[in-house]
Amino acid sequence: MASAFVAAFEILSFGAIIVLVVLGLGIIASMMGIFNFAQGEFVLLGAYVTYLAYSHGIPVWVGMAAAPFLVGALGFVLEALIIRRFYAAPIVAMLGTYALGLIIRECVRGLIGGLYLSVPEPIGGSIDLGSVHISAWRFTIIVVTILVIIGCYLLLSRTTFGLRVRATLENPALARASGISTAAMYGTTFAFGAALAGLAGALLVPVFSLFADLGIRFLIQGFVAVMVGGVGSFIGPVAGAAVIGTLSAALPWVMAPVIADILVFVLAIVFIKFRPQGLLSGKGV
Amino acid sequence: MRSDHLKLSRRRFLQNFAFASTAITTGVGSWVIRPEWANAAEGPIKVGIATDLTGPIAYAGNADANTAKMVVKEINDAGGLLGRPIELFIEDTASNESVAVGNVRKLIQRDKVDLVLGGITSSMRNAIKDPIVARGKTLYIYPQLYEGKECTPYLFCTGPTPAQQCDEFIPWLIKNGGKRFALPSANYVWPHTLNVYARNVIEANGGEVIFEEYYPLDQVDFSATVNRIISNKVDVVFNTVIPPGVGPFFKQLYEAGFLKNGGRLSCVYYDENTLNINQANEIEGLASCLDYFKALTKDDPVSAKIQAAYEKDFPGNFLFAAGSAATGTYRGLKLWAAAVKEAGKIDRESVAAALDHAKIAEGPGGPAEMVPGKRHCKMNMYTAVAKGGVYDIVARSSGLVDPKEC
Repeated sequence: MASAFVAAFEILSFGAIIVLVVLGLGIIASMMGIFNFAQGEFVLLGAYVTYLAYSHGIPVWVGMAAAPFLVGALGFVLEALIIRRFYAAPIVAMLGTYALGLIIRECVRGLIGGLYLSVPEPIGGSIDLGSVHISAWRFTIIVVTILVIIGCYLLLSRTTFGLRVRATLENPALARASGISTAAMYGTTFAFGAALAGLAGALLVPVFSLFADLGIRFLIQGFVAVMVGGVGSFIGPVAGAAVIGTLSAALPWVMAPVIADILVFVLAIVFIKFRPQGLLSGKGV
Repeated sequence: MRSDHLKLSRRRFLQNFAFASTAITTGVGSWVIRPEWANAAEGPIKVGIATDLTGPIAYAGNADANTAKMVVKEINDAGGLLGRPIELFIEDTASNESVAVGNVRKLIQRDKVDLVLGGITSSMRNAIKDPIVARGKTLYIYPQLYEGKECTPYLFCTGPTPAQQCDEFIPWLIKNGGKRFALPSANYVWPHTLNVYARNVIEANGGEVIFEEYYPLDQVDFSATVNRIISNKVDVVFNTVIPPGVGPFFKQLYEAGFLKNGGRLSCVYYDENTLNINQANEIEGLASCLDYFKALTKDDPVSAKIQAAYEKDFPGNFLFAAGSAATGTYRGLKLWAAAVKEAGKIDRESVAAALDHAKIAEGPGGPAEMVPGKRHCKMNMYTAVAKGGVYDIVARSSGLVDPKEC
């Protein structure tokens, strides 16, 4: 019983981590039609900001709070300077964002000397329930993920801003004719997606430590999650991420981890073959 | 849209092509360090270093290149070898085997070096050994701790082997941890081969292996493994999971109460670099067995001198550590220098014959000597335990430990 509870918690917590990483990726892919290969590096930058704060003696949670704003601001600038030129050519956009990601990643690698650096969690230790120990920080990540999902959902479905974003996605020409500045909308949406990645990086870094390939690790899983969930809505990629994250964490409990790693992708490919539009294509927000 | 800017004119194409071909021919990752004096009649002796200056293990490759610079400078300052200075050629293997083979060929064919030292991972050694030893007809020294079984002629190994890392370490672990071992491992050649040896030593000393399991190299969630370790009441985790997985793995073990319940972590590649992956309390008591730890500088004046010289020349992130092959690089170059002195010439046959039984009296961690006919190196081995983020030496070999290879 205790072991089943631990298993459920660990699987849920890894699912939450993947959801957190995919949120920003999904928003940019669904709302803008851009597959942002630099998303992993935005996660890395969020982690790096947190590390910088820690290494300068600033409390870790301050770094974590600042990370989404700084990464979001960088996303806004990059959109205006670079990403904006790619909207007409999605394939070129993939290459362009990949190059951008490569530049960011190698810069960070240079800055941290290619090492693996630990960052302590603001809420450390474990929560003891009898003989069962669960990580306090992983529990915090689950709570924050749920709050962020609810926040994003409300923002997109209940506010004027959300309405404008969705209008821009649905029919850019009509949105422009109705007085919405689509350029500003794209800029803001991209910045918002980047900020979510920054937040994900900030929350993840105590779990995985800081290293230059932190973002790459989650990028492929993130894209598979977006494909499985379905592009075109906010909730699709989130559902896809929950499925992929849960599967990746659950399968090693029942089979050899090397096989489980491959099986996740095989299952995803089979699923997409039979349901190419994804789990929840374009439904809801 | 700015698509008109993207159009490739013929002139633009030629410009780019010219730039790219120049970059390819001259090479982007080559460094030549010329001796300050080069008035010898025969010209300098050429030493090639092929190591990972860029990529995920650049921290190790740069430390090795720094170590080579330090040793070569020291030899040149003392008058060189056979009255000739040493010229150092450093090529980047970029943690990428296909790039590496090209760059190593440059060392052999263009620079015509007399020795190549380098390669950190086993896959890198396997990729570059043939271009160096067989087709290149050049001497090759591999400096990293590894899984053993490398018996190619003209290839000399100066890092620790499984026998050196396990024979005294595992009995110590059984005494200071317990009999129930788990072998969580990354899925590649070093853990597979090392585990075969470790399992034999564990069982010969009355321990038992509860499970041996392999994970994809980029796996970062180990909840299932941690649960197996806790529920099977494992005493010692003999870890060969590598970064990036090792950090989250140790953290999850700590959070699940493994250390609190008296469990012992062990990992034979853990050195001063890898200590930073986790916070000190998460790996308290982690045991490692290597040919050198910085903690030795307290009571070994030779190690202290070498460590101080390195830190003076190369302060910063690239540490002089055993797990990054820096000590193997030092030992390799010094043994080679001793062999060249004995042979009195630098052709491959004579130097290899002398290197076969070369000895050095002073090195990091103590003296070292090649085992004749085996092309592997005897050295002192030390067991250290991480306490509050620094190593504390808890056991040392009574003399030079035999590599038991070939």
